[in-house]
Parts: sequence; C-alpha cells; structure tokens
Amino acid sequence: MNKKSIWSFGTREVVYSAIGAALYAVLSWATNFLQIPAAGNVAFRPAVAIPMFFGVVFGPIVGFISGFLGNIIGDLLSGYGFWPWWDLANGIMGFVAGLVVLAGLKGYKGWSNIFKAEVFIVIGVLVAAAEAAASEIWVSGVDVPTTIATNFVPTIIPNLINGLILVPILMVAYDAIASRSGR
Amino acid sequence: MLVTWQYRIRNSLMETFDPRARWIFSLIFLVSISLFWDVRFLAVFFILAFAWYASARVSFKETRRAWVLIAFILFMMIFIGTIITGGGAAGILPEKTHPVVIWNWTVPLTGWPIVFRLTYERLWFALAQMLRVLAISAIFVIIPYSMDPRLYGFTFRGMGFHDRVAYSMDLAFRYVPTLARDFSVTLDAQRARGYEIERVEGGLIAQIGKIAPLIVPVTMNSIISGEDVTNAMDLRCFGIKPRTWLEKTDFHRRDVYLMIFTGVMLIASIVLSTVFHFGVFWMPAWLIPA
Repeated sequence: MNKKSIWSFGTREVVYSAIGAALYAVLSWATNFLQIPAAGNVAFRPAVAIPMFFGVVFGPIVGFISGFLGNIIGDLLSGYGFWPWWDLANGIMGFVAGLVVLAGLKGYKGWSNIFKAEVFIVIGVLVAAAEAAASEIWVSGVDVPTTIATNFVPTIIPNLINGLILVPILMVAYDAIASRSGR
Repeated sequence: MLVTWQYRIRNSLMETFDPRARWIFSLIFLVSISLFWDVRFLAVFFILAFAWYASARVSFKETRRAWVLIAFILFMMIFIGTIITGGGAAGILPEKTHPVVIWNWTVPLTGWPIVFRLTYERLWFALAQMLRVLAISAIFVIIPYSMDPRLYGFTFRGMGFHDRVAYSMDLAFRYVPTLARDFSVTLDAQRARGYEIERVEGGLIAQIGKIAPLIVPVTMNSIISGEDVTNAMDLRCFGIKPRTWLEKTDFHRRDVYLMIFTGVMLIASIVLSTVFHFGVFWMPAWLIPA
C-alpha cells in the first residue's frame, strides 16, 4: 500500500487520473450498446467500475477526476453534450470509493479488504445518485418521487451491480500485478 | 476501432470566442435560467440559447443522437411526470388549479378508484419545463461539436484549475486514441479465443460477467504503462515549475463583451427572481376559464 497522504496529487496521480478518465470514457463509449430501457438520462455502463477502482487504488482525488472527467470525455465521444451535474455525480462515485483508505484498507485481496471497498462503493453510488437526482429537481422542476423513480433508482441499480462485481475482480487483478512488480 | 471527436473546424461565429468565455457563459446561463419558471422569461432564454446554438453552424444531422436522447428524457419528464402523474409540477404550481378534464375510473374486481385530473396550470407548466430543458440542452449539447479538444487543458487552467489538474485533463484527451487501440487489440485477441461481444446476452449480472474479459486486461495494461509514463515525467522534472502550453488562446474584445453580457444576465436574473419575484410560475389570465 502507498504510504503517501491520500490527498497528495503528484506526478503519479496526474498520470493515473488521466488514464482513469480516458479508460472510463473509452470503455463507456465502447459498451454503449448495452442500454437500460425506460431510464431517463441513464445508460448501463460496466465501465462505471473504473473511477471506483481508481479511487480505491490511487486515492479519492484520482477517483474523482477519473469519474468527472471520464464522463465528460465519454459524452463528448458519444455526442451527448455536457451535463455538469451528472459529471459531478460520476466524480463523487470515484471520490467516495477512494475514502476506503481511511477505513484501513491494507491490500487489494482478501475478504476484509474487498468488503471495506464494497461498503464505500455502495455509499459512493448512493451519494452520487442523490446528488444527480437532487440536481434534476433544481434544473427540471420534477418532484422527489418522480426523480427517485426516473433518476435515482435507475442510476443506483446498474451502478451498484457493476461496482460490486467488477471492482473486486479489478482489485484482485491489480494485486497480482502490484505484488509481482513490487509497486 | 476508430475514435473520433465530434469537433471539426467550421469557421463559425461561436469559434471566434475564447473557450474560457464560452464555458463561463454556458455555466452562468444554467444558473440564470434555473431561477425562472415564468414562460415569458424562459422564452427569452430559449431564443438566446438557440441563437447561440445556431452560431456554431452545426447541422441537426450531426447532433441528432443527442436530441433523440433529450426527446426521450423530455417525454419521460413531461408526459409521464407532469401530464400523466402530475408529480413533475408539485410544489411549483398554485394550490388552486383549473381542470381541463377529470376522469374517474374504478378498477374492476378490486373497486379501487383512479382519478385523472389534468389542469390548465399543469399543461402550462409542461410548456415551461420544455422551454427550460430545451434551452439548457441547446447550450450544452453544442459544446463537443464546437470546442477543440486540444484546448480543454489550457481552458480549465485559465479558469483557475490547478496546473496539475489541468494537465491531467490534457493528458486524458491524448490517452483516448491509445486506449481505444488497446481495447481494439484486446477485443481481437479475445475474439481469437472464441469471445463473441455481439452475443453479450442475458441479465445484467450475466452481461457484466461477459464484459469482464475485456475490461480487466485493458485496465491492467494501462496501469502498467502508466508507471513508465510517470517515471518519464518525473525524469523530466514535471511539476517543478508552472508548465507552458502548446495550444493557447487569448482573450479578445469580443470575449470581454460576452463576459459583460454574461454578468448582466446573471445580475438581472437574480434581481428579477429574488427582488421582483418574476421567477415563480406564471400563466396568462386569459387562459384561465372564468
């Protein structure tokens, strides 16, 4: 585990923020064919696990930039425009997942570490979806039950499924690489 | 796999403005329009938004995909949320409303009553919602088609972001073609082993399980290559001094005018909505039945 402060933003964090954002954008764009019907402004993106994973491994700032910037670039590639409150929500997912270090994450494999990461992923998804849904109330004038039905629930279900399944797989794969290379 | 940006040079009026001025205008527009539910003011914002959109000289054909998505969202929001259920208009409309139609229906066998009450106020609010969402969409949909991706890093640096964060954005844009190529290579390699991306079927969990053989190798490969990039940047003393930018833009007089207009728009919106209370829902008196 990296002993640096989780709030430091050095060369390594600059590079991995960029890689995380580009990965999230490319994988979102490449998996655009998976669409959930009847969910406003929400797409089924397995790539949403990328900012969460980068948050867990490289810290909350990297997680935030990967999600925030990755969503912007992904929407630029797809031609969907720019939706600041949804970009922020994606950033929050990566940021909160990155706070798992504060809970004493000691590695990237083993039930204890994976469980801690999963808990922060759940919190991150809920906070991010709440922010996006609340923003829709402000921007679009919908009420709370409507935004829960059309934004909050359709956002949390696929993101939780993607995050809870893919992030542990990525963590275990990363652990193998990290231990082999001594990083 | 060919990854292309939506931007191309169009020699449009919008492109003559500095990207920083355009971002600030777009974000202030969002804040300003969000202060109003009065159709008279929303109509002004709507005209302004589509005049701005037209200045980019982007054809409808190019932006069709985004507009299809927006139309779907509008349908969900207005038809289902406001007109059918009435939920979208809650808290904004006055308590006393005037019905256009009232349908009472009882569910057979159970006897449960269902009442559908459509009001003039709700229909007028749907118009306000449509104007507001379309205006915001026009402002933000046009960005990828009219802004050079090479300028994002410098633009956000100029808007006060930290040098490293701005460079991270710049680097991310450069990584996109590289990672798209890696994805393509991985996809081909997995196909050679019998993987069929075209047959990713089943429920959500099954689909994720089938996508993992693509996502994991691409991610791990990029992390390994990232270490080399980090070492190369450190060897070149990255971050010791403020960096210089290959692509730069300058503020011109027209950008100053746009900023003045943006400032006036924001101040006028705040004053009109908070001091004179023009932001609340309004409906013409002649539309309300006696």
